Amino acid sequence: MEVISVIPRRLDVINKYKEQGGYVAAVLPIHYPRALLRAFNVLPVEVWGPPRVDTSHGATHLQPYICSIVHNTLSFLQMGGLDITDVIIIPHACDSLQGLGSVLLDFVPPDKPIVPIYLPRGRRESDIVFLTREFYAIYQRLEAITGRAPSDADLMKSIRREEGADEVLIKLHQSHSCLPLTDIAFYRLIRSREYLPAETFIELAQAVLAKDIKKPRDGIPILLSGIVPEPMSLLEAISEMGAMVVADDLACCGRRLYPPGRSGDPLRRMAERIIYAPPDPTRGNPIRERREHLLRLIENSGAKGVVFYDVKFCEPELFDLPTLRCELQKAKVPSVTVEVDINDPLSHQTLTRIEAFLEILNERR
Amino acid sequence: MSGIKALGIDVGSTTVKIVGVDTEGKMCWHILEQAEPRVEDQVERFLDHTRQVVGTLDRIPLVATGYGRGLVEQATRSVTEITCHAKGVYREFGHGGTLVDIGGQDSKVIGISPEGKVLDFVMNDKCAAGTGRFLENTASRLKVPLDRMGDEALSVVEEVPISSTCTVFAESEVISLIAHGVPVASILRGLHRSLIKRTVAMIRTVGIVPPLMLSGGVVLNPAICRLLEEETGEKVVLPRYPQLMGAHGAALFALEILNDGSQVS
Amino acid sequence: MSVADTLRYHWNVNLLGRAALRWRRWQTELLAKTGSGWRSEILTPPLRISAWTKELVGRHYLQGNFAHLHDKVAWVTSGAPIEFLRALDFYVLYPENHGAICGAARVVVEIASEAENAGYSRDICSYARTDLGTLISGKTPVGKLPKPDLLLACTNICQTVLHWYRVLAHHFEVPLILIDTPFIYTQVSDHALTFVKQQLEEAIPMAEKVAGKSLDQRKLKQITRLSQMATYLWLELLERCKHRPTPISVFDQFTQMAPIVEMRGDAVTVDLYSAMLKEVNDRIAQGIGVVPNEKKRLLWDNLPIWYRMRYLAEFLGRHGIVITASTYTNAWGELADLINPEQPLVSASRTLIHTLLNRGAGDKLATMRRMIDEYNLDGVILHSDRSCKPYSIGQIDQRDRLIREYGVPALLLEADHNDPRSFSEEQVANRLDAFIEMLGV
Repeated sequence: MEVISVIPRRLDVINKYKEQGGYVAAVLPIHYPRALLRAFNVLPVEVWGPPRVDTSHGATHLQPYICSIVHNTLSFLQMGGLDITDVIIIPHACDSLQGLGSVLLDFVPPDKPIVPIYLPRGRRESDIVFLTREFYAIYQRLEAITGRAPSDADLMKSIRREEGADEVLIKLHQSHSCLPLTDIAFYRLIRSREYLPAETFIELAQAVLAKDIKKPRDGIPILLSGIVPEPMSLLEAISEMGAMVVADDLACCGRRLYPPGRSGDPLRRMAERIIYAPPDPTRGNPIRERREHLLRLIENSGAKGVVFYDVKFCEPELFDLPTLRCELQKAKVPSVTVEVDINDPLSHQTLTRIEAFLEILNERR
Repeated sequence: MSGIKALGIDVGSTTVKIVGVDTEGKMCWHILEQAEPRVEDQVERFLDHTRQVVGTLDRIPLVATGYGRGLVEQATRSVTEITCHAKGVYREFGHGGTLVDIGGQDSKVIGISPEGKVLDFVMNDKCAAGTGRFLENTASRLKVPLDRMGDEALSVVEEVPISSTCTVFAESEVISLIAHGVPVASILRGLHRSLIKRTVAMIRTVGIVPPLMLSGGVVLNPAICRLLEEETGEKVVLPRYPQLMGAHGAALFALEILNDGSQVS
Repeated sequence: MSVADTLRYHWNVNLLGRAALRWRRWQTELLAKTGSGWRSEILTPPLRISAWTKELVGRHYLQGNFAHLHDKVAWVTSGAPIEFLRALDFYVLYPENHGAICGAARVVVEIASEAENAGYSRDICSYARTDLGTLISGKTPVGKLPKPDLLLACTNICQTVLHWYRVLAHHFEVPLILIDTPFIYTQVSDHALTFVKQQLEEAIPMAEKVAGKSLDQRKLKQITRLSQMATYLWLELLERCKHRPTPISVFDQFTQMAPIVEMRGDAVTVDLYSAMLKEVNDRIAQGIGVVPNEKKRLLWDNLPIWYRMRYLAEFLGRHGIVITASTYTNAWGELADLINPEQPLVSASRTLIHTLLNRGAGDKLATMRRMIDEYNLDGVILHSDRSCKPYSIGQIDQRDRLIREYGVPALLLEADHNDPRSFSEEQVANRLDAFIEMLGV
């Protein structure tokens, strides 16, 4: 579909934003307040690794049992990959990202400010209050960096824009199986939210949604769970095997379908949006909630099985796996696990695991 | 020989196998060779060979399986080795159970339903421990030929535990044991035990449903079978052609294509 | 809990069990007196008081075996605030400590395999795998573990515990109290401190509900006071190691630390460490060191390698090298000043958030440097622990700085605190030999 071929490229977006006097922030996984950054005219550009970089730089600071996303981020930074950005935001998603933040601050300081964000691990009132105050601290950091001080009204405007973008993002996910897009095209579009300004993303997404053909695509419907679908050729391989991803529980995609906030206080509203996002182990949501969420996704999307596609060494994912798989089994939903390193090309074993799993699903149809 | 109605080819990491079946699905012809670096050439040679036997390959469907299944351009269809192994083994035994296949690069455990369907499967994780390579690597240190390893291991009762399951660690452990004068056979027995323990972990993950069936080239090693029985307390049954189960399964899929009247290239 | 249950509990724990454990302690003490129980030509025998420590730990797990007859049970993480739970009369169990016991008893492979067979990856923490293995199979060297009525996880040591306790909460279907302690990258923030205190305040009614009683503030203060006394004594004990020769090595410290972790607010813990201090003072007075002819003193970073402590102690001891101090044992004493029994919650939030593992990698380096100076140390062994990412990330740079900026030889030793399958004796021996040469012994 032509829309996909016109998705602006990451580097072009960054350059254009900077030319217009804006700042660019490199943002590490997973959750952060987009609206807060944009209110300071800072464009968040997310860094999920990226895959396939020379990891020797990271290996001089990190042990081999730290996941490839963290290794790659440090390598990419050291190779100058983030030179174009003005600030690095490090949300606290896990012990490994915590460690990376700490190593950067104390031992390998880059030539730009580092702003860590602590994300509380619950949905209690105290969690919302803390995150609101944490965002206020970030506000002060950004104020110092950019020299701007957006008013409550500015913040609210920024929030509304992001809420608008997330609304179409949710719509895209809901009509996924009826869109005239291959899986890889769909996920290229979804993932462009990782670097596009909300307004550009909304335009693109609406053009695609206008072409909703209301006729489901053909293939074995599956749900993809994990952190990030890298290498993206995975999605092509899945299509070639005769399957299609109809729903996801991916940290970079489906776990970030933020609902609109409720509060009239802008910082609190930003906090609410993250805290009430779909269940995520890195935010401490109970396994029961994850199970219910998965079963709901399966029911709504008609997925016939779940592929847990996990990055090696990722404790937040690995701890929940046996329980989730067992619960899915009770609900008669087959699942399979695949473990990857985001630097490796798709291995034969990975493909064989998924293909054999699809053969099982096919047999049950 | 004209009984061949369908063909299955299994392009594995260490060996390449081709099997022909008759109208009943009975295995009536096969070739097995060590895998060569240029898989495409080898496959072409296999097919030439087949042509000599059957005359023409037109109207004889071919299903490819194994790691190199994507490289067999002549194939009508490709099916993973998981499904093919289950198919082949079910044909041979006529019942379900738990199939263990220890290959050179990969090990897998497949749960097969009483009707011959794949219920669940696991494969070894990223590292080489738990595969045939683990034994090969460490045994080469001991200068024991591969085909003698199992017998050597069973020739003693005394066994030294090898605690590391990492191939690199295990190798240094073996070197140290040799240096301390531990008999080679006892080390070998320990190495086999370590591999089997890893395999049993995979069996438990799938959930053991008797009987336990073993396939793959490693079946030729008697210690694997014996220690697997010891560790699980289950009798292990072996197919007549343990290395051909995947190819046989593939040929059976090819036969289904023929019987369905699908287009044959 | 009926009267019959209470009677059964006291009969088993306080009569039979206590007598058996006391008998075992006397026997050990007798052996220690005659010197016939210790077989090492290199190392000085352990402290005589070890027999008492062993008795206390034994009693703790014995109480656990019968806890269902007598107490509500809480499972807690090692960095969690237990004072309010003790004040509510919970029996408190530390799965991490149980993991360490399994490690030292060398049964981890057998138990952890049960968890791995159930689908838990080998890449997750070996303490968690040990605990989940016990959960699945019932296998444990301590008889049995009492089922929890309440779970308490504090993220000040890692996020791993939260993932682990979420699994426990799902399995046991009991409430999980979370005390979330925002990581201190540079400086602690006021809103983080308030957040921790607020969570403690919210935790109390949850625990009260499970306990079926209300918290007695006087009792809480009393327990906090005992905690602080024990913590001070522990710190003093460690600081005795500034003497040369080192009176107790880290390997002794590792085995003597169980009470400061799991019986922190008990009066008997204070008595134990007071007595231990006396014995250590005696050693110092008599000039007894851990190894004869002490040549070099080292710092240990990270968790112990529970299944190979004796091996490492003897390996180094043979060369006149002793590991005098560790950031790990120090972590259980260094915050004693922050405890304030008059304001238990405020002081708890301060100590919780300031634990070593909740502070940045640079702060840990500073702690190491301070300890090197104060304890007069000649080198550092950094145990790169596969199972503890928060403790291990940063070690490569810490080692580098120690060598380049501080001129202190430092060795990174790859292993795992509980899983012997990640320990390669050959590689370790090789690296240690090279390191010993670097130290110039």
